Amino acid sequence: MAENILVIGGGPAGLNAATMLSELGVKVTLAERDLFLGGNPKKFKYKFLFPDMQPADNVVGELIKKAETSSNIKVYLSSEISDFKENGKKFDAQIKSPDGNEIKTFDSVIVATGFEHFDPARDAKYSYQLFDDVIDIKDLERMMGEGNFARPSNGQPPKNVAFILCVGSRDRHVGNQYCSRVCCTVSVKQAIELREHFPDCEVYIFYMDIRTYGFFEDLYWQAMEEHDVQIVKGRVAEITSGPDNTVICKGEDTLLRGPFEIPFDMVVLASGMEGGPQSSEMAKKLGLELDEHGFLKPQNVTLALFKSNKEGIFLAGACTGPKAISDSIIEGGAAAMNAYIYAVRNH
Amino acid sequence: MALEKQEKRPVAEKGEHIIARHLIEDDYIKEEKNLVIDGVDVSGRWNTFIRTRVDSEFDRSFFREVKETVAGSRINRCWQCGMCTASCTVTPLYRRFNPRAFIYMMQLGNLKELKKYVDVAWRCVGCYKCSQRCPKQVNPAEMMEALALLIKKYFPEEMESKLKVDEDVKKIYEDMILGHGRLDLAKLHTSSMQKMGRTKELIGKMERDAIFKMIKDGRAFSILKLGRPHNWGKSKRAIENYLKNANTLERSEA
Repeated sequence: MAENILVIGGGPAGLNAATMLSELGVKVTLAERDLFLGGNPKKFKYKFLFPDMQPADNVVGELIKKAETSSNIKVYLSSEISDFKENGKKFDAQIKSPDGNEIKTFDSVIVATGFEHFDPARDAKYSYQLFDDVIDIKDLERMMGEGNFARPSNGQPPKNVAFILCVGSRDRHVGNQYCSRVCCTVSVKQAIELREHFPDCEVYIFYMDIRTYGFFEDLYWQAMEEHDVQIVKGRVAEITSGPDNTVICKGEDTLLRGPFEIPFDMVVLASGMEGGPQSSEMAKKLGLELDEHGFLKPQNVTLALFKSNKEGIFLAGACTGPKAISDSIIEGGAAAMNAYIYAVRNH
Repeated sequence: MALEKQEKRPVAEKGEHIIARHLIEDDYIKEEKNLVIDGVDVSGRWNTFIRTRVDSEFDRSFFREVKETVAGSRINRCWQCGMCTASCTVTPLYRRFNPRAFIYMMQLGNLKELKKYVDVAWRCVGCYKCSQRCPKQVNPAEMMEALALLIKKYFPEEMESKLKVDEDVKKIYEDMILGHGRLDLAKLHTSSMQKMGRTKELIGKMERDAIFKMIKDGRAFSILKLGRPHNWGKSKRAIENYLKNANTLERSEA
């Protein structure tokens, strides 16, 4: 009889782990809390992925297609793990879905519950949800995905747009001291897209550091050198309403040591990533450890990012920390390999 | 009536009624002579206003103007790392000469700030160390050239009042090139010191030591051997023509 492995979470990491295991002949149970597979990229309708601007639908779509067509994968949508028990070296899990409750025994478990976008409304200084023209990168991504590219307040093309980096990241005030890794790259990507879509619109990026790591740096250079995106050093401390239906960004230009209050047509907040309630829920149910940032804690951050503190339970993707989609997909594979080894040994 | 009163008063210092006057730079004080607001005459004591000291716009038209010039075409590349200022030969002498900051002011169209540096902004000596080291190949050395031209265009009065001596030196320089086709540094030095009224320093100990040293190692005599470049007349006419055209162009622009 084939091994049974439970994959919790149907985002890029979970989908890749499930398809790789199914190709090894393992019976995979894929539990997804949403009505659809694809995770955050699907939920928030990401349009193009950095660095090479390939459509997100192609990348995630391919993973979904593989998972849905595989005869070895059983997908439970709108489901949750209502009960979880260790059974020797195996695990008994009750999966609650609209079709009813089902109890199964698994040889190993992969947790790929992902992240939540930071809600900028939690940081009142940015006036998110107070002004229509203050949006965040996931809103802009969704607007672009829906082909509805304009100022939210009046549907007109914007004349100047400001990006504000490190919203909900690297900020003790909101409780997140870490860097969310991808928001810089997403912001410069979107700045390029804005400039391409509205050539007359000036785009500014307010930054403390621009962390487009590795080859993502190319996008940052492109944004400046080919699209005249202007970077301004200083974090914005306050967003207020301005004249003529504008929003004013108040901050300090730290390079010239001067205060500024500049009106913009649209402000885009580069909100970061958080472990979200699902991480603590998983930690509680499965007996895993949480780290000080609210993500699931790996056994060893260098040697075994994909292993949890519990034998037989493996981690993949953004549930262990902010990550790019490509990294999540790779980790899905790594976790699948390790879960398979554990399952074969104890089957 | 208000006008009469004002005329009788002694000449007022700008913003003299502001209590903490030392905190405000001249540029931010605005005084109206005869101001009427909603039909009420407020001239006199109440005519003084302090402009906001907060920047309230980024003026990208200036950025585009710089970008269109050959020397400043790479202004969009600059990310403010400070490699240019760190490499600069002038900054250690004039701390206020900061290529990085000048490029940033040009990017954001911050003319208000740029105006404060009219006296130093043209001090680039063209050693090109910055351009050689710039990680983004912005070519800051030539950017300083673009800056000098724009300063001349936007702040001609400040330029005139602050750069008088240097115009004289420029004249000496031009005469020397046109007259001999060669730059005689010793002569340039003595003439400009004379123009600046620092003749005494020319016979100071430092200068004397330098002259003795040059006589000793023979460099002093090589100056005498300097002739004119081959076919100098032709080149001289070409330069004269160019300068004439440049001057007429300048005048017609003004």
